[in-house]
Amino acid sequence: MPVTRSLPDPRAPNRVVPVLAGLALVLVWSLDFGRIQPNRIVPGTGHGLVSALGWGGAALISLALGGSLLLSILPVRRRYPCLLVLITVLLAALPQLLVVFAARQLPEGAPYARTVIGAGFWCLLFLLSLMVVEVLGRLRARYGVPLLLLALIAASWLVLLRGDGLDSLSLLREYQAQPGKFEQALWTHLALAFGAVAISAVLAFALALRMIRSPGWQRPILGAVSFLQTIPSLAVFGLLIAPLGALASAFPVLQALGVRGIGWAPALLALVAYSLLPMVRNTFVALTDIPEHLTDAARGMGMTERQVFFQLKLPLAMPVIIEGLRITTIQAIGLTAVAALIGAGGFGDFIFQGLGQAAMDLVLLGALPTIALALLADALLTMLAASLRPTPARA
Amino acid sequence: MIELKNVTRRFGDTVAVDGIDLAIETGEVCVLVGSSGCGKSTTLRMINRLLPHSSGEIRVDGKDITTLNPERLRLNMGYVIQGTGLFPHWTVARNIALVPRLLKWPQARVDARVRELMTLLDLDPDTYANKYPAQLSGGQAQRVGVARALAADPNILLMDEPFGALDAITRENLQLEMLRIQRQVRKTTVFVTHDIDEALKLATRIAVMDQGRIVQHDTPENILRHPASEFVENLVGKQDRGLKLMSLRPVRELMTAHARPRPATPGADALGEDDSLREALSVMLCRNLTQLPVCNGRGEETGVIARERIIRDGV
Repeated sequence: MPVTRSLPDPRAPNRVVPVLAGLALVLVWSLDFGRIQPNRIVPGTGHGLVSALGWGGAALISLALGGSLLLSILPVRRRYPCLLVLITVLLAALPQLLVVFAARQLPEGAPYARTVIGAGFWCLLFLLSLMVVEVLGRLRARYGVPLLLLALIAASWLVLLRGDGLDSLSLLREYQAQPGKFEQALWTHLALAFGAVAISAVLAFALALRMIRSPGWQRPILGAVSFLQTIPSLAVFGLLIAPLGALASAFPVLQALGVRGIGWAPALLALVAYSLLPMVRNTFVALTDIPEHLTDAARGMGMTERQVFFQLKLPLAMPVIIEGLRITTIQAIGLTAVAALIGAGGFGDFIFQGLGQAAMDLVLLGALPTIALALLADALLTMLAASLRPTPARA
Repeated sequence: MIELKNVTRRFGDTVAVDGIDLAIETGEVCVLVGSSGCGKSTTLRMINRLLPHSSGEIRVDGKDITTLNPERLRLNMGYVIQGTGLFPHWTVARNIALVPRLLKWPQARVDARVRELMTLLDLDPDTYANKYPAQLSGGQAQRVGVARALAADPNILLMDEPFGALDAITRENLQLEMLRIQRQVRKTTVFVTHDIDEALKLATRIAVMDQGRIVQHDTPENILRHPASEFVENLVGKQDRGLKLMSLRPVRELMTAHARPRPATPGADALGEDDSLREALSVMLCRNLTQLPVCNGRGEETGVIARERIIRDGV
């Protein structure tokens, strides 16, 4: 049988999935699946897999994990589609397990009692996600399939979270304790992060063009944006309080706009300052790295400088510019959480409140969506960059 | 017609091109040949104003090029370079359509022209039109480069070492292709190369350059027979000039033609009418033959060529 090195034989056993599935099996049996807390602060009691879900549930999970383990080793036809379906169903059904757990273990007549997601569940979620990523990679799935899967899983989670079965979940308790605040935090977070990225993208583009037009500007501009990057983020937030406060009291117009020493204005400024370096550097490098023989040919064929820029340089630079945009966006989403310290709002509010009240569930209510946002932005921008590559990947 | 009068180009203190005069007649292939750094590429790039000349005058069809808009000037000059310069984010068809689209031709005319050119350059439109440059071999990519240069039917073709990066066999094929196309379209061509054999094969006239000056500007035959200086003599090769002269003449010129074409003997060695005397002699020496049949394009035997004749009259 001829050996092909470029394409691994789809019938060869997979090495990654069995390791992940085996690890998941071990962890889900050895760690607490969930906990029941009598109220917000008291740690409460942990429940293992059997105690949480009963023998039936435990057997079902073990079977599914064992099944994917076997599917990935045994010489099976259509191994990866089968695995994909199995793991997706498992992922989509995860919240249902929490419903079962709550129904089995939550004490009656204890209005403050809550269910808390345990380490076993988190590990299961994490390892299953890794398995999906591995299987999707093996299938060489196009953008549509991962998006569809994500939508399916997210929809099933949303439906279950909105239903009654999970009311006792600690995260939802925290969510319901401050109605409307979560959504407000989401919008503030998005507005700050994406506002900063948008502003810095425009600024960076202008700066990069300036540097290309007049090379004398390269050192000062790159030096300045690199310097901005080296100041610790907390220090920037702090440093901006005094000048912005002074500005606002000097110009009442600014005050009317909501510019103060604390709040969104210093946060946005600091985020823009941080976003500049990756954006400027990527935009500049992308636009100057166009091979000379291409611009030479373009000019020699009679293109004007404008046509060379818009038809040749910009399209070729786009994937690298988007890569800069991706790094910047992820960084801005994370930093926006810190900006809550100077009263900018966003998910950071929950994190710092939770830390102050020693309520880990509240911390998670802020941290989990921040992570989800960052992952989502990363995935979407990676796909965008890939779709803009000049030559199709399956060339 | 392209005329250069006392054209000089300086880069700082160094003189890259030193007061050259050169006239390229309409429809001829002028090959600029010389070692690297002799100013041949600089000369070419001054003709389409990619480089401004420091002094002197360049006229294209009688007009001083500094009075023309540089983009308009270049749109009427096909430009082929060594690295092909194909846009990697555009398909083959879109690359070829570059200049017609800059000239705002209607889409139907552009499409028809792209197909026509791909066929002319022996690239199947259905197979290659939607491929990207990265999916082509070096020779195919350079064919696309030539097609792109010919797309809007310019009067002038500028070629800067177009086949320099290709392997010997592909280069030879493209040179033959280029001769065939030139017979069909008759472009005024300026061709830069450092390969004297390529120059001898393609040129109507060759301009030999050395240190920014033109040391000889003449037909390939005269360059071989009467090299103007030691430098040219070394360039064309002192010892094998006789063979090189033979490679300039086709077999047709010295063969003894039959009264009428007759069917070729199957399986026997035969030459084409357009093969050079040098190839004919080489085959005969190799096979130890005193004469060889000559066939035309349809495979009919039209005459024979004798070894004695080549040796007596070949040079």
